[in-house]
This record gives sequence, structure tokens and C-alpha cells, in this order.
Amino acid sequence: MNILAYLIYFAITYLITVHVGLRFYRNGKVFIHGLIPQDTALCEAINNILLTGYYLVNIGYATVMISFWKTIHNITELITEITASSGLIILTLGLLHCFNMSAIYYISRKKQLLHPIKP
Amino acid sequence: MHPAFNFSAYLIYLPVVVVVTWLVAWILFKNSKVFMIDIFHGKQDLALATNKLFETGFYLLNIGFAFWIMKIGVELSSPRELMEVLSSKLGGFFIYLGIMLFLNLYLFFRGRRISKSRQTNINPTAGLHPLS
Repeated sequence: MNILAYLIYFAITYLITVHVGLRFYRNGKVFIHGLIPQDTALCEAINNILLTGYYLVNIGYATVMISFWKTIHNITELITEITASSGLIILTLGLLHCFNMSAIYYISRKKQLLHPIKP
Repeated sequence: MHPAFNFSAYLIYLPVVVVVTWLVAWILFKNSKVFMIDIFHGKQDLALATNKLFETGFYLLNIGFAFWIMKIGVELSSPRELMEVLSSKLGGFFIYLGIMLFLNLYLFFRGRRISKSRQTNINPTAGLHPLS
């Protein structure tokens, strides 16, 4: 039963991590371009490295959490455990995302104070 | 007999939660494009990217929270108990969803106000420093 749970759990977390990562990658490009407008190649490099780091952190975190699971006896426990664990992972992902968004906001505000936008 | 009720409670809870979150996010972020374009002074690509990022964050936070709180600790022995426990769970989650919705709306209004005031602050000083 535990093996089945791990397989379903891995499928869910892997799909969500990759999908969300691609979404961040595509939409984050605009922000990095906004922060470093002079150098397109540098922007691409930073974006790729950020994506790799994001995958490593999230898949690693999801994999480490496996070791804290209890033994699963029936299908109700299976569904409870899978949902609770993947919910925790998704919630952490969301909190990290909020933290990143506020970091981008503060960096761009600091930049704007140094070099204000010309109307 | 009793595990069957817990299991059917989960089977009702999961689709309802996912569908309601999707519906709320769809309505909120369909209408937030206007705010975003206002905040970024009509820069379309930046506004749409920010909108997408906010949408992703909204999904992650709400679906993650809904999955996390799903476990029903007590064993449900009758359909009446199932309805009571399920409605308290779903109602609590919907209240949380409403609070998140208004938090997002507050952020949009705040961003709009800040970007408006920044624009009016910068415009007069631009004339004072012709060299910058």
C-alpha cells in the first residue's frame, strides 16, 4: 500500500512542480528583463539557473518528506496521507512564491528610488 | 461500515474544493487584468505576467491549504454526521477563500493607489531638474 501511495504522490508533486516551474519561468522573464534591461544573455542565464534551483529545492523537499510517512493500511488512509502531504508541499510552494514576489517588488522599488522612471 | 463514510466524505470534499477554487480564481483574475494594466501604466506584457504569477500563487495557496486540512480525525458513523462535519469543513474553507479574495483585492487597490501617487509625484519634479 505504501509503495502505491508513494507512486501517486510522486506523480502529483512532480507534475505540479514542473508545471508551476514552467509558468514561473515564462512569466518571470519579463521581470528579470525589467531589472537588467541592458543584457539579454545574462537574463536568460539567470532565469535558467533560477529554474534549476527551483526544481532541485522542490523535488528534493518532496522526496525528503517521504521518510516521515506512517504505514498505510487501507484506501481511506491512502487518500488522506497523499492529500495531506501534497497539500503541505503545494502550500510551501505558494508561500515561497509570495516571498519571491515581494522580493521582486522590493528590489524594483529600490531600483526605482535610485533611478526614478522618467515620465 | 464506518470507514466508508469517511471515504465518501473525502470523495465529495476534493472535487468541490478544486472546482470552487478554480471558479473563484477564474472570476478574480479575469477581472484583475484591468487593475494590472492600470498599475503598470499600460505596459501590457508586464501586467499580464504579473497577473499570471498572482493567479499561480492564488491556486498554490488555496489548493495547498484545502488539501492540507482535508483529514477528518473522527470516524463518521452516520450520514448525518457526514453532512455536519463536511459542511463545517467546506464552510471554513470557503470563508478562508473569501478572505484571500479580499486580500487580493486590497493588494490590487493598494498597488493602483501607489502607482497613481508615484506618477503624480514624479511628473512635477521632472520639470524642476531638466538635466536629469
